[in-house]
Amino acid sequence: MSNLTAEQPMNVRTISDGARPLEVVAILVKRSMIRVRRMPSAFIPSLIMPVFQLIAFSGAFGFAVTSLGIKNALDWYVPLNAMQGASFGALGVSFGLINDMQTGFFDRILMAPTQRWVTVISSLVAAVVRCIVPITLVVLIGYLGGMNTPGGPMAIVCVAIASVAIAVVAAGFALGLTFRMRNLGAATLTQFAIFFTIFLSTSQVPLSAMSGWLRGVARINPMTNILRFARQGFLGDVTWEQSWGGIIAMAALLILTFIYAMTGIKKFDQ
Amino acid sequence: MSIAIADPKMMTSSSSGRSLFRHTFALTRRSVVGRLRQPAVLAPAFIFPLFFAALGSASFNKLAGDPYFTDNIAKSFLNYAVAGAVLQGVLFGSTSAAGDLATDIEQGFFERLLASPISRTAIVLGRLAGSMVVAVVQVVIFLAIFLVAGARVESGPIGYLGLVGGSALLALAMSGLMAGLAIKSGSPEVVQGAFPLVFVLMFLSSAFFPRHYMKGWYRTVADWNPLSHIVEGMQGFMNHDLSASQFAKSWLLPLVIAIISIAFALRALSNRLAAS
Amino acid sequence: MTQAPIIATGLSRYFGTGDNAIKAVDGVDLEVQQGEIFGFLGPNGAGKSTTVRMLTTLLKPTAGTAFVAGYDVVKDADKVRRSIGVALQDAAIDPLMTGRELLTLQAVLYGLSKVAGKNRGEELLERVGLTAAADRRVGTYSGGMRRRLDLALSLVHEPTVLFLDEPTTGLDPMSRLTLWEEVKRLNAGGTTVLLTTQYLEEADQLADRIAIIDHGRIVRQGAPRELKAMVGSPTLSISVASSETDEARAILARFGDLRPTSEGTLGVGLARGAEDVASVIRALDEAGLKVRHLELDEPSLDDVFAEATGYRLEGADAANKPAETEVVPEAKKSRRGRK
Repeated sequence: MSNLTAEQPMNVRTISDGARPLEVVAILVKRSMIRVRRMPSAFIPSLIMPVFQLIAFSGAFGFAVTSLGIKNALDWYVPLNAMQGASFGALGVSFGLINDMQTGFFDRILMAPTQRWVTVISSLVAAVVRCIVPITLVVLIGYLGGMNTPGGPMAIVCVAIASVAIAVVAAGFALGLTFRMRNLGAATLTQFAIFFTIFLSTSQVPLSAMSGWLRGVARINPMTNILRFARQGFLGDVTWEQSWGGIIAMAALLILTFIYAMTGIKKFDQ
Repeated sequence: MSIAIADPKMMTSSSSGRSLFRHTFALTRRSVVGRLRQPAVLAPAFIFPLFFAALGSASFNKLAGDPYFTDNIAKSFLNYAVAGAVLQGVLFGSTSAAGDLATDIEQGFFERLLASPISRTAIVLGRLAGSMVVAVVQVVIFLAIFLVAGARVESGPIGYLGLVGGSALLALAMSGLMAGLAIKSGSPEVVQGAFPLVFVLMFLSSAFFPRHYMKGWYRTVADWNPLSHIVEGMQGFMNHDLSASQFAKSWLLPLVIAIISIAFALRALSNRLAAS
Repeated sequence: MTQAPIIATGLSRYFGTGDNAIKAVDGVDLEVQQGEIFGFLGPNGAGKSTTVRMLTTLLKPTAGTAFVAGYDVVKDADKVRRSIGVALQDAAIDPLMTGRELLTLQAVLYGLSKVAGKNRGEELLERVGLTAAADRRVGTYSGGMRRRLDLALSLVHEPTVLFLDEPTTGLDPMSRLTLWEEVKRLNAGGTTVLLTTQYLEEADQLADRIAIIDHGRIVRQGAPRELKAMVGSPTLSISVASSETDEARAILARFGDLRPTSEGTLGVGLARGAEDVASVIRALDEAGLKVRHLELDEPSLDDVFAEATGYRLEGADAANKPAETEVVPEAKKSRRGRK
């Protein structure tokens, strides 16, 4: 496609079939960052909440975990709260989409010859970019508090992978829900869904310490596997045994939520 | 919402004591009805406390294996968690009530009340009393649920009264504080912003986990936090034989705070009136 | 393109089903010619916006067909979208972004590279007169500025067909004139324009042909001049001294049918309007009658509207119109997240 200048007239035939995906993703992600910068009040909670919960949980419930042989409560909680911080990006995505629907700008996005999957991927990438700061912050505070990493640098790698995956999964879910509900209820529901999914797992204590109903629920919750994958480097060595369950869970959730988001946006084409 | 204005009984001037009571009652009723009409707000006040209690008892029951816990704190974690759930419910309820008050101020209904022959004190007391009523109802419901789930009030029938009374006094204290904040700021956002702080304070106490097991600076904060002692008083009703210290912690302490906070609220009110 | 840019046949949109279904648009037939400005005139709730949303692929028709730029709006929606520019009732903008950012974004969404998009944005900003405000957040723009930006956004890919839904509603007179100028300029450049409006003057000023829509149906269609002529001929009203009234009336009766006019004046219908005025005045002059006041009233579009629908769109009598059809809110804003 030729480089256009102001003098060169442009007509419909020179618009490439479906706009250039990379350029579109780049500019939509940039737009997301601009919005965060200009309206930071929406972003701040996603920084404060995970840090606060890290301190509160490790301070209040620390004994429940250290009494089981874990050296520092932070070892247990940093991965959890990093993932939680990452999931807050999902809410931002939902709010942004609802805002676009209300201003009518979403109509413009729908009308443009950009493919639907490009639009969805842009939001997911934006969620990933948004989660970098919360994850880093939580890990930093963990280090300051004396967190241990027996698994070496791989520990950080695992927690990073898990957190990014959660960010994408949560964002995909938020998108699918927002496309269908088209109002702020979607953001609230996403919040609830994330909250319960995270808490009804090995968020507080390992499976062995749980009793009754919680153990049953946590066992089937994919979050348990993902948490195990994320935590392993902080509790011991990073091994394949502890990883494969989490990897499968992440892959499955990524695929499912992406489909959910795509079928959601396709509804606008009916 | 013109119960107060339209009611002709309100307009008659009788002895100041009787009219204060009548005004307060009407405004209390308005406050309670207003709360009940916002189910979305009630849900977190009920769902989250109960959920955390359920989660806690399922996660931390190993603690019941620790002899120190069973001897000094509680028989089971569920029994321990009841008081914390009650605390959460009451604190959240009080903050929302203040939010309603701030909304009133923002939307000018407050000024209309001020222009009417209703006494100033009745306006504030109406809100606070409404908060107490809601808190009492909440506690009763919570206790019923927990009892069904297997909890036991070890201190006997008086313990029930102790719990309910303590919650009402705590609601009074909390709403007084929040009402003062609402009157001073006139903005519902400020009041809502206070809730996260309250939430933080709850974590830095014995509400969710015994402070005996905490360490370092965290422990120090929890030791000094009045909420720790209030909730421990309530935990005493749940887990031990009746004793005066339980009343001292869960009644006296909130009462003292209530007196200070109501004074603060009334002072804020007179400042606001003087300013306008 | 030999085919007309916009063709609709029996286009309908119902909300709900059965007897209670709201017929927002009920069997609309229209054909907009290449290079035309076509005006869609009607009160709130008449079905204008719903029709536009169907033609711009934002809403699926319940019945009927429509072809825009030669493509079926349902089956080839994608191709339609590439050929049309759309500026809907509320400017579809993001208040947190600047004008420049939004235009560049729009350009990239339509397939331009970032550099080309920026250039295109500059060009459009200048065209709509927003260069000075380009780096300010759109949330700070006035209503007129937002509409201009919205128009610029719709022109990014140089569409051949432009849809404007109530482009000047809520604007001050100056902004309205500016927008009219721009629309005329675009049309002079070859763009076909379909605009909806509730302002008679706008339809009169801009449109080559108009369609009057009421309760979802087109009740009149044609060039403004023709439609007015269909209503009737212009009325000449004069006032003379009271002693000369009878004589003046007799003279007027020779030129056309006498018509009731305001108190103290006499009125006659003139088949050729202004052309006949000179003859009437000459006749009165020859009879020695002195004309104190003279007025020639053309039938207005409001008269056309009143004759077609039974009520007036503007002015004192507008209050007498029947209750508006309330389009179901969620359906009207099907893509927008309003509660």
